Amino acid sequence: MTSNAKTVLDIKNLNIDIHLEEGVLTPVRGVNLELQENETLGLVGESGCGKSLTCKAILGINSQNCKTTGQIFYTGKNGERKDLQRMPYGGKAIRAIRGKEISMIFQEPMSAFSPLFTVGHQLQEIVLLHVTKDKRAAKDLIIKSMNRVGIANPEKRYQQYPHEFSGGMLQRALICMGLACSPRILIADEPTTALDVTIQAQILDLLSELQRTSGMSILYITHDLGTVAQLCDRVAVMYLGKIVETASVQEIFHNPIHPYTIGLMGSIHKIGGTKDRLFSIKGSVPLAMNLKNRCSFYDRCIYRKTNPCNGPEPGLTPVTENHYAACYLPQTSLKEVN
Amino acid sequence: MDETILEIKDLNMVFSSGKSKVHAVDNVSFRIKQGETVGIVGESGCGKTTLGRCIVLAYKATSGQVLYHAADGKKYNIQAISKQKLRSIRKEIQMIFQDPYSSLDPRMTVFDIISEPLRANYKKIPKNEMEYRVQDVAKKVGLNPSYLKRYPHAFSGGQRQRIGIARALILYPRVIICDEPVSALDVSVQSQVINLLMDLQKNMNLTYLFISHDLSVVEHISDQVGVMYLGQIVEYASTDLLFHNPCHPYTEALLSAIPLADPDTPMDHIPLKGEIPNPSNLPSGCFFHTRCPYCQERCIRERTSLIRLDDGRLVSCHFAGKLPLHGIQAKVPR
Repeated sequence: MTSNAKTVLDIKNLNIDIHLEEGVLTPVRGVNLELQENETLGLVGESGCGKSLTCKAILGINSQNCKTTGQIFYTGKNGERKDLQRMPYGGKAIRAIRGKEISMIFQEPMSAFSPLFTVGHQLQEIVLLHVTKDKRAAKDLIIKSMNRVGIANPEKRYQQYPHEFSGGMLQRALICMGLACSPRILIADEPTTALDVTIQAQILDLLSELQRTSGMSILYITHDLGTVAQLCDRVAVMYLGKIVETASVQEIFHNPIHPYTIGLMGSIHKIGGTKDRLFSIKGSVPLAMNLKNRCSFYDRCIYRKTNPCNGPEPGLTPVTENHYAACYLPQTSLKEVN
Repeated sequence: MDETILEIKDLNMVFSSGKSKVHAVDNVSFRIKQGETVGIVGESGCGKTTLGRCIVLAYKATSGQVLYHAADGKKYNIQAISKQKLRSIRKEIQMIFQDPYSSLDPRMTVFDIISEPLRANYKKIPKNEMEYRVQDVAKKVGLNPSYLKRYPHAFSGGQRQRIGIARALILYPRVIICDEPVSALDVSVQSQVINLLMDLQKNMNLTYLFISHDLSVVEHISDQVGVMYLGQIVEYASTDLLFHNPCHPYTEALLSAIPLADPDTPMDHIPLKGEIPNPSNLPSGCFFHTRCPYCQERCIRERTSLIRLDDGRLVSCHFAGKLPLHGIQAKVPR
């Protein structure tokens, strides 16, 4: 990340509440996130930490019972800064951005496509909406785009139905859909989780290659730290609706300081490492309801001290330049865990 | 410890629908020693789950034998066994399934789920003994016994998987077939379940067949690893040997695709050409020749078979030991 990098996306104090019969669920609590031009930002966390909701909030595609507050500033090509959060749900303004300037790749390619229409039909929809009204031109554009993501024989593939594709090919088709309008921001929600390692490696290559050539920014959501190390420039770790640590990928892997990050790093097995017990974070993620105003990781933390950790919830504070953590007792090394 | 407990001999499983035939398991042979963990890895569709299911006779194999050395000292071929005998042997071989959400009946309490194998196998088991045994395994897998009256929906993925493991343990089995037991779980929960499986193995002297597509998990837990491709085992070796010094090009390609959790060691993966061939229309010669970067003319013509190399491993490649293959980069964790 260079200092003169331009911020394309700036999320400020994003909160999402879901009102249920049992009470109010707060899956996202005060998230601040910046995405620079041409940067890959990894958003890491376990299921239920609010990472998918955060990303869907950017595009305004959360279901309507999610009460969202906060600001999401998007800086367009012409330098105009718009608050996506204030655009009406389903209105013209957000629809002009959705899919064109900010697009998203979903987790399961098998269920992201409708089985009733050909892949080509589903891919051209987005082009017909945003780029051209001419069907033939749309097809040409899609075929070019299919070539770019490495789908062999695109003319034939265009006519086929999703069931005729393998998982890896379908994921490529989904990426092709996401890239068809040359977006400035690509949100990739666990794009490789459902795939085999060999295909995963191909997709990761493809993403970084496409980023190099087109200069877009990628917001990469995952719980797989291996792919984060390979793909991302910067990482934000999320726990229980809050960002608990953010730093460059090197910093996160070599000097994690938040106990949750340290725990995550410790629980992945390193090939060639010892065959001892893996470190594991005790307990499980609590439900994001009726949370007390104290560190959300308090109950599971092995470093906690009653004072100061029992105090009000810590916010993100700088530890070194560009390395922020929300912790009263930042830890210094991974060794203390093992 | 050096005692064989399971021997799989020339196992074949062919599924046919209409005219097309799919050779899901193709002449697979290996043996598992007592107390050891054998990992089976491969991409989806390579037949690893089918192999696991043939071992417990969830599928009747087309041909071949699964020899089980039972606790009574006798050998039984599970694939050709009387129904009565099968019942008693199935007590000793249990299975853990992949998806903890669909493998537990939502209408049964956890107590009923865990005790079901007992009720099925010992009709007249006294109630207090049943309760004692269920509480005992619940403690072993780290489930709070006061939760036994609840239904599965009240549990998280990791806890559900513990329930599945408790159900497999209740009959005190000797062998457990683990079919992707951690794939559906989060990283931090994965490590809890892997630790649990390894502790149980030590305490109860269990033998595992660990089926997974996650190579780093397999590397951690297994003593021996078999790599499957299109129904065949293409390489079978001890874990260290296989990961650091592979002898089959497919193993090399798989290893190179593992994303290492270290930003300073960029992945240098060997791209495989094309996709896995259609298993109902297999290639000629070596099944891997269509994607193999080292393919030569002989590979297209001649079938391969498993050969034993000097270091004891089995490889199915014409040029085994003669190719300059790389293992995982030697990495020393900090």
